[in-house]
Amino acid sequence: MRALFSRWIDKWLFQLRGAESGEVFLHQRRVFILPTRPGLAFGVMLVLLLLGAINYNLSLGFALTFLIAGIAIVDLHLTFRNLAHLHLNAGRAPAVFAGADAQFELQVINRRKHDRYALWIGFIGPGLPDLPQPTDIAANSTSCVLLTAPTQERGWLAAPRVRLQTRFPLGLVRAWSYWQPAVHVLVYPTPEEHAPPLPRASDEREDGHGRFGQNDFAGIRAYQVGDSLKHLAWKQIAKIDVDAGGVLLTKQFEGGATSETVLDYATLPRLMDREMKLSRLTRWILDAELQGQPYAFRLGSISYPPACGAAHQTACLCALALYEGS
Amino acid sequence: MKRPHPGTALLHDRLSPMLPSMSRPMSRDKADMLLLIAACVLVLAPHAAHLPLWISLTSTAVLAWRGWVTFRGNRLPPRWILLPITTIAMIVIYWDFNTFFGRDAGVAMLVLLLVFKLLEMHAKRDLFVIIFVSFFLMLTNFFYSQSIFTAVMMVAAVLAIVTAQLSFQYTGIVPSLKKRLGLGSLIVGLAVPLTLVLFFLFPRIQGPLWGLPSDAHAGQSGLSDTMAPGNISSLALSDDVAFRVKFLDPAPPKSALYWRGIVLGNYDGRTWTKLMQPGTPVIDIQARGKPVRYQVTLEPNGRRWLFALELPTAVPQLSNNPTGITHDLQLLTTSPVSERIRYDVESILDFSVQPHASQLSLRDWLELPPSFNPTTLAFAASLRTQHNTDTKLVAAVLQFFREKNFRYTLEPPLLGKHAVDDFLFATQAGFCEHYASSFVVLMRALDIPARVVTGYQGGEINPVDGYMTVRQSDAHAWAEVWLDQRGWVRIDPTAAVAPERVAQNLARTLPRAGIGGLLGLDLEKSAWISSLRGNWNAASNAWNQWVLNYSPDRQKRLMQALGFQDADWRTLIVLMLVIGSIVMAIVAIILLLNRTIINPLDALYQTFCQQMKKRNLPRARHEGPRDYCQRLTATDSVLPAHKKAAVERFLQLYEILQYGRVDQNLRPATITQLKSLLSECR
Repeated sequence: MRALFSRWIDKWLFQLRGAESGEVFLHQRRVFILPTRPGLAFGVMLVLLLLGAINYNLSLGFALTFLIAGIAIVDLHLTFRNLAHLHLNAGRAPAVFAGADAQFELQVINRRKHDRYALWIGFIGPGLPDLPQPTDIAANSTSCVLLTAPTQERGWLAAPRVRLQTRFPLGLVRAWSYWQPAVHVLVYPTPEEHAPPLPRASDEREDGHGRFGQNDFAGIRAYQVGDSLKHLAWKQIAKIDVDAGGVLLTKQFEGGATSETVLDYATLPRLMDREMKLSRLTRWILDAELQGQPYAFRLGSISYPPACGAAHQTACLCALALYEGS
Repeated sequence: MKRPHPGTALLHDRLSPMLPSMSRPMSRDKADMLLLIAACVLVLAPHAAHLPLWISLTSTAVLAWRGWVTFRGNRLPPRWILLPITTIAMIVIYWDFNTFFGRDAGVAMLVLLLVFKLLEMHAKRDLFVIIFVSFFLMLTNFFYSQSIFTAVMMVAAVLAIVTAQLSFQYTGIVPSLKKRLGLGSLIVGLAVPLTLVLFFLFPRIQGPLWGLPSDAHAGQSGLSDTMAPGNISSLALSDDVAFRVKFLDPAPPKSALYWRGIVLGNYDGRTWTKLMQPGTPVIDIQARGKPVRYQVTLEPNGRRWLFALELPTAVPQLSNNPTGITHDLQLLTTSPVSERIRYDVESILDFSVQPHASQLSLRDWLELPPSFNPTTLAFAASLRTQHNTDTKLVAAVLQFFREKNFRYTLEPPLLGKHAVDDFLFATQAGFCEHYASSFVVLMRALDIPARVVTGYQGGEINPVDGYMTVRQSDAHAWAEVWLDQRGWVRIDPTAAVAPERVAQNLARTLPRAGIGGLLGLDLEKSAWISSLRGNWNAASNAWNQWVLNYSPDRQKRLMQALGFQDADWRTLIVLMLVIGSIVMAIVAIILLLNRTIINPLDALYQTFCQQMKKRNLPRARHEGPRDYCQRLTATDSVLPAHKKAAVERFLQLYEILQYGRVDQNLRPATITQLKSLLSECR
């Protein structure tokens, strides 16, 4: 019954809706406002002041009481104005490993002529810590807020509902609004902590490529994110004048696929839990990348040829995160 | 004991000697706290005028302590230091006031509560406690003063509190103090229209709702219901306004302005008190001449008399404070005048009262205390032998006052047990109360019924608004004697000694000490000072009429003037809500509808994009004017060929104006060109 009631409240009163993609305008009908606890005490004080003014016939007492009441009402408008008519945009949400905190970038855009201060933005939802971030947004500018949400399971994680609230300027009332950004973060499986070492390529060549291929120095190329540090061409780097905008260089090898590491889901012990298997594969991918060891990846129907680098890693991790098979 | 933030504290301690303290910008918390302390000083300052000195000193010391703690970044004193100090302060309050209740003791407690709370401010909640106490203290200040200056101070203090309060709310960037004061002023400024609506339309209820503390009206000066030497002279230097009068008919001459108040008939040798006469008063008045109509605005004095010119033709009617008249023609209200009231009176200046009173009814006005003033009695007996009629006797006594070397002074020598003897035959120096008192004693010794009347004499017309101001310094005492066929006749013995006292003001009669006297300036005569004073008086009278005296009656009259004949509280509430909502809507519009003003160039570009959108060529989000232009003018574009040139020219011009360097003088012309190009594109 209570759950029903609160759902009704959410739906009709707070007009909670599904995820909204694109830029969201905080229309004034989406902004709610109620007195805070000090605000209520302020109201009680106003009544006491009024009673005092009546009892002692203090004309200036009336004036003072009404002035303060007027200030509270203006504060109500200002607090409302501090939140209403903002534009909201969801930014990037980089993938994370399960168990780590997912980071959502949210853009709050103020297209009005007045600055906005002390806006608290945070995720709300069951099991989420109430850790709103304060932010200020100057007139005609944008502020980026990084919100974190804990992750537990791999797969797509929708951003929790965002609550924006403010008590500025006087703290007597609180205005708040909800926003469900249409943004998802991809959660990779947790890398297994004490995983067995990377399966070494066997000496038996599977496809007849040269076994030493990995050490066949072929040349150098510009460093790319994800390249192993072991393969940095230090000699060449040292010759480059860094001040002139020098870049890191990576040694490139040929025939890397010869001593092939194959990360195959199917080769893992059959009795192992699926999540454990995915977890182990994740660790191995990370290890392989760290060592600059090209690896082939097989998972269910997915099969990636051996490679190394950020794109390959992402593709593999992505497959792991979204794996639905047994 | 665990320190709250050992790390930060240590870091702070380690850093502070390294950083030059002058160049270091003040940390935010410090600045906020000092602002709050400043706001509290503004709230407390007006109280210094009436608080015992030790409280003012203690408060100053505690505030200075708090300021020092804040400035140095030290920690607040622990409870075990504060608790004994607070306890001692409370004990001293009790010892000083003999109570914890009542007005003065309450204010003293609130003041100490505020300053000690500042020393014990830990959580954000405490900020609100301080703000609430500040507002209560501001209210209590109105017990002592409700002048225009107090109102200005009130607004300043509210502004300071609001600014301090909002300063605590910032979480990141904190704007400069000037900007914050600006925001505070915006809040207070926008609250003013609402304040006015509420002030004038909130249904006023006549207080008090509960008992007033016994000292609620202490310090209000005015005539008392007894007269002992020194009573009136204590008022003589008070510039406080007793009442203001607006004459509807031409004002009578100053010498006729006897504002009758209290009649005293009992004398115990030193003090005159009221004479109680039982029964309903039967008053026989013969009026001659045209009555004078006027309106009196009486300042609250905590007493029950209403003042009117001799003699009112009817008893003024006050709402919820019935007024009656006594046998000796005093106007008495049922309850003390605790607020400023206004009443309409009509007086006749030429009259006779009870010309045919019976000797029996007059017997009480002949009583004298036995074995007092033997010389006076002997003098009376000798006068009796020289003159045969009462009228002649009265004239003879006035002659005596005039011929002997009587002096009119505010600092008379002390009188002994036989006060009248000493005054008449030894010191011969005194104030109106001495003259009135000794004259009545002498009359009674002569067997002529006589009584002392106190009230005010004179008044000063303000040329600015035409109101006459009667001040406490106009307090006066005179005598009334009963003469056969003529009834009660007013005799002012002071006028016999110092005629200018009656013709002019007391202020001019007495040599004035003070700044004006020291500088050898005659402040009263200086023209511009007098006009300044007139304007100030008019302003303060308007203040009284519209702010301080805005009573339920006044509200009703305002409603009638606005066309609401029977405005009860329901009408008022409806009116208040309607007008209040309108004002609030205006405030909301001012605040919410400040859309960004688009500069004309952007507006043109927006119109252009919309035109193209209608042609199914909307600008993509990522497209700048150049890319857009390329797409629009491309060979496969659906745009008609003759438009392409205009579009290209428009976008090029726009690009130059928006991103290039254009001479400011050429700008308007180029924008005109853009406009014409835009219409070509359509």
